[in-house]
Amino acid sequence: MHLLEVENLTKRFGGLIAVNNVSLHVDEGELVGIIGPNGAGKTTLFNLITGYLRPDSGKVKLRGEDITGLSPDKIANKGLTRTFQIVRPFRHLPTIANVLVALQSHRGKRRIEWIKTPERKAMEMLEDVGLSDMALEPAENLSHGDLKRLEIARAMALEPEIVLLDEPFGGLNPVETEYMVKSLQRIHLDGHTLVIVEHKLHALMKLVKRVLVMYNGEIIAEGAPEEIAKNKKVIEVYLGKVI
Amino acid sequence: MLARYMRKVYTSLATHIYDIPSRMMALMLLSMFTLLPFIRFEVTLISTLIEANFIAIFAASWDLLFRAGQVSLGHALFYGMGGYTTAILFKYLGWPIWITIPISMLVNAALALIIGIPCLRLKGPYLALVTMAFPLVTLGLIKGPFSSVTGGEIGIYGLPSLFPRELIKSPLDRVMAEYYLTLTLMMFCSIILYKIAYSKTGMVFVSILDDELASKACGINVTKYKLMAFAISGFFASLAGCIHAHRINVVNPPMFGVNISLIPLIAAVLGGLGTIYGPFVGTYIYYILDRYILTILIPMHKWTFYNVEWGQVKPIIFTLIVIVFIIKWPRGIGRGIVEKLEDLEKPREIEEIEKEKSKKHEKS
Repeated sequence: MHLLEVENLTKRFGGLIAVNNVSLHVDEGELVGIIGPNGAGKTTLFNLITGYLRPDSGKVKLRGEDITGLSPDKIANKGLTRTFQIVRPFRHLPTIANVLVALQSHRGKRRIEWIKTPERKAMEMLEDVGLSDMALEPAENLSHGDLKRLEIARAMALEPEIVLLDEPFGGLNPVETEYMVKSLQRIHLDGHTLVIVEHKLHALMKLVKRVLVMYNGEIIAEGAPEEIAKNKKVIEVYLGKVI
Repeated sequence: MLARYMRKVYTSLATHIYDIPSRMMALMLLSMFTLLPFIRFEVTLISTLIEANFIAIFAASWDLLFRAGQVSLGHALFYGMGGYTTAILFKYLGWPIWITIPISMLVNAALALIIGIPCLRLKGPYLALVTMAFPLVTLGLIKGPFSSVTGGEIGIYGLPSLFPRELIKSPLDRVMAEYYLTLTLMMFCSIILYKIAYSKTGMVFVSILDDELASKACGINVTKYKLMAFAISGFFASLAGCIHAHRINVVNPPMFGVNISLIPLIAAVLGGLGTIYGPFVGTYIYYILDRYILTILIPMHKWTFYNVEWGQVKPIIFTLIVIVFIIKWPRGIGRGIVEKLEDLEKPREIEEIEKEKSKKHEKS
């Protein structure tokens, strides 16, 4: 049984088919990348899986359990969390409270070991991404790179079974990207399953073992990063046809 | 025994209040309000302050709802329904006020839940408009189909006072008693509302205000928390309505008026939106300025200027003063003061940290 299974997912916006009959699966402990040009339907796919959009047809299964059409918070409580492409921090709250909110949810509350306070646990989550110095700073004072890392700390606070990361390197400079790659690697080594949507292929290819390529709402290729880089169809999609 | 108790009070004062300038300020203001009737007893001032006391609770309950991201322009619904519920319970069942007021508050918490359900899917201006409609609809029902129960336009008369005539004979003493009762209620409710707003639950409220989608992604059941905010808000808002009804012994349709709905908005914007202490500051400023200084104090001197009467100029003057306040303190007077006080506090903290650092250096 796969950890996450998506079967024939389809979503239409009027005449546009944003996600067309997509099937994929993610096993436990995997690190999967999804790439594709702009408008390929990657974010829509994430929104469908995490319950922000309702699919027209198809199924999403988490550990064999059907989670299609559940509300986002229920899906998060089942252990499938996500981060956003455009950062969505709670700007009026201190950095640590951003994580504490996640610990206030049903799943988050149960994942706190009895020996710890929620604050201690939140602090550990922040230490993992290197934000412990900013813990009491209001989130609105944080830089974009810090906010990206805060998003990850917040998603990890629920101790999810699988995390969908929507462009974790978006808008980061090379140094920050390097740091982010390392933190994601560490999270992966801790035994977490990650699915990453990304545009920065260079950083992504170092990180993942398996890549899916999306184009016009369909998955056109799948395989190891090296294979994908040589795949004619993928090159065509990114660079155009050779005449 | 007593000495031990006194020491306990002293230590809690020293650690929880004395060290924090903003709390010290609040304590000073409270003691000023407590001693005010002895310093300057003026019935008009005291009765303005009585009104400010319970309207402050009303405004703060609105602010709690605002903290959960729900802007209500129809908070008068709870104010009016609070008054009407206790009035109807008294009129038809003859229960005493110490039973009818808590029941009215619970009824209004339930009412707020019912109101909250259709509001769940609405946001921003749409939510504000829908909430604005609720008191108007209720007003229509009270004046129309239910007028036999509610007394229609006239309302319900002859409600029992907060302090019965037999208990306190002198009317001035009654005013004093009402003043201290409302002041204690204000203190209690402010502490409770503040504790709620700055608890873990209050933190989740702010997360909904900031970004509903993100709090859903955190696994927060947004529906539950929104309804909770509605219920708490309705509960405390109706208390203000109850006190108003029993203070003037009447409930009538103007309790549902749009001006009542706007008071918390003015108070919160003046004092600081979403801070809980802000609306308290804002309410007192609004009441002392508008209802006392501009309405009672200045007209006493018979002010006329080229046949223009004071009553015509008053709203302009008041609005101008409010505009000046808002330009000077765009984030609210209460918030402005507290931030200033916190700035005073910071240098001391930094000094302490530097001391510790130098100690460590000496050791190493």
